Amino acid sequence: MISRRISRARQIVLSTLSVLLLVLGYTWISHRQHQVNPEDTTIPNWSQLAEGAVKFTQPDRKGQRWLVEDSLATAKRLAAGISLGIVFGFMIGMSMGCITSLEAFLQPPISLLAKVPQTAALAVYFVFFGTGMEMYVAMISFGIIPTLAVTVYLAIKDIPSEMLDKAYTLGASHFEIAFEVVFKQVLPKFIDAVRLCIGPAIVFLIAAEMVVGDVGFGYRIRLQFKLTNMNVVYPYLVFLACFGFLLDYMLRFLQAKICPWYQNNSK
Amino acid sequence: MKEDGHQDFSLQCQKVSHWFGETKVLFDLNLKVKAGQFVSLIGPSGCGKSTLLRAILGTHIPNEGQILTMQNGELISADRPGRDRGIVYQKYSLYPFLTALDNVALGLKLDQTSALFRLFNWSGWAKKRKNFRDRAAVFLEKVGLGHAMHMYPSQMSGGMQQRVAIAQALIMEPEIILLDEPFGALDEATREELQEMLLLLYQENQDAISKSQKPPYTLIIVTHELNEAIRVGDRLVGLSQYWNWEEAGHDSPPGATVVYDKPSPIFKPNERPDYESFENIRREIRSYVYNPDILQSRNEYLMTKLV
Repeated sequence: MISRRISRARQIVLSTLSVLLLVLGYTWISHRQHQVNPEDTTIPNWSQLAEGAVKFTQPDRKGQRWLVEDSLATAKRLAAGISLGIVFGFMIGMSMGCITSLEAFLQPPISLLAKVPQTAALAVYFVFFGTGMEMYVAMISFGIIPTLAVTVYLAIKDIPSEMLDKAYTLGASHFEIAFEVVFKQVLPKFIDAVRLCIGPAIVFLIAAEMVVGDVGFGYRIRLQFKLTNMNVVYPYLVFLACFGFLLDYMLRFLQAKICPWYQNNSK
Repeated sequence: MKEDGHQDFSLQCQKVSHWFGETKVLFDLNLKVKAGQFVSLIGPSGCGKSTLLRAILGTHIPNEGQILTMQNGELISADRPGRDRGIVYQKYSLYPFLTALDNVALGLKLDQTSALFRLFNWSGWAKKRKNFRDRAAVFLEKVGLGHAMHMYPSQMSGGMQQRVAIAQALIMEPEIILLDEPFGALDEATREELQEMLLLLYQENQDAISKSQKPPYTLIIVTHELNEAIRVGDRLVGLSQYWNWEEAGHDSPPGATVVYDKPSPIFKPNERPDYESFENIRREIRSYVYNPDILQSRNEYLMTKLV
């Protein structure tokens, strides 16, 4: 039957099984590759992966631990870019949703920006913002602002006019309607949109780091890939996935905490 | 110069006409509602009941004529929604992100505190909020929802939601409460319970009048259920586009106007009405208001009205 409920135990067993299958599958592919070429580094076996782990957790010749340096650099850039994107995306969406003139004014640049692939526009960012922190922040925030702004804007247009008229009969001012009715109504949908934007934001950042970075996940992956040190590249990909997962989990937690009514709605 | 008994009116519609392009909706509509009246507004679908209600609410200004509502003891043009008029819609009356208690307390919060006060005077706001919630709880008890104060609208049944919506409007003590088909989406039993709740309010009105105080609630309820209209209202107002406009010198239908306005029998909250006995009133309303083939002369209606 479609979407029938299953027990918790069964769910855990099935999830474990899928992870186990992935690990076994990888071991088998790697094993076959090493039968053909024992020196192979493209699909490292488990002992090669352990060597890789030593490489990125222990200090290198310059005394730097790659994983620490890269994580810090990437996280800083991502945090700054996403925060700025959140602030501006939300403000632009709110003003477009609440003020009709601003809606007309902001619609063209936003829809244009939304259609330009950020990774293709890398060169533009280098020209305007150099290759430092500013460039990463600009690229990530410009990349996610259109989606976030449009989500907020559409969510506001979705609010039944009855709810706004009603607020006036309860003695609300224009500002109070924007904050007490519109903002609170839109907030959970906005958090959903931020969750969906984390993926693209990481893509933009990694792409930029691969091209101009001197530290960071994108830089390390590109460098180690050139040396076919896949025993570093694969773990780094796993770290990236875990990082994205963690952010997503935190946002979901935040949403459940500050918008408990939204959870109730979706159940 | 104030006319006699001026203070008693909560609402005056004067020569109100409205049209959407070629579509004529309301024509030369006059309606005065006294404080304490429960007016049932009835009429065939598309006659402009909702248009009139929105005009009174102030969200849709009529093309001609004016609507005056009592605001701070004076009859003032209702050109925008304000806290003197409450509204209960069929749906979307409640804010999904607030519990029942906070939905009811919202009006007090918005009306009696400012955003700056709430932002900068935390202890003052905390004190006020407690007071607002206590008052909201009283109103929820009044509509029979003392047990559901902390539920979100999505957790409540349709009937409960409408009870909260009514409490939300009541707490503002508006001059007039507008109900736009409030029970239209509810099942028969729930409907009757909610009608009883409104009759309890009407009883409070009568108690106030007997102590020669001002009756606290004035209501206009739009409904398509004649039995509901007769049971809840103490006055039946029929709006209809079917009247003898040719006689009045029009080439095409000019829109709906008031064609029926009579007192309605009054019921006690716990009194189960004998709907059979409504038959005479229903028949009269059907012929005057709903029947496109029986075109009543408006002059005749206006004459009887003056007497």
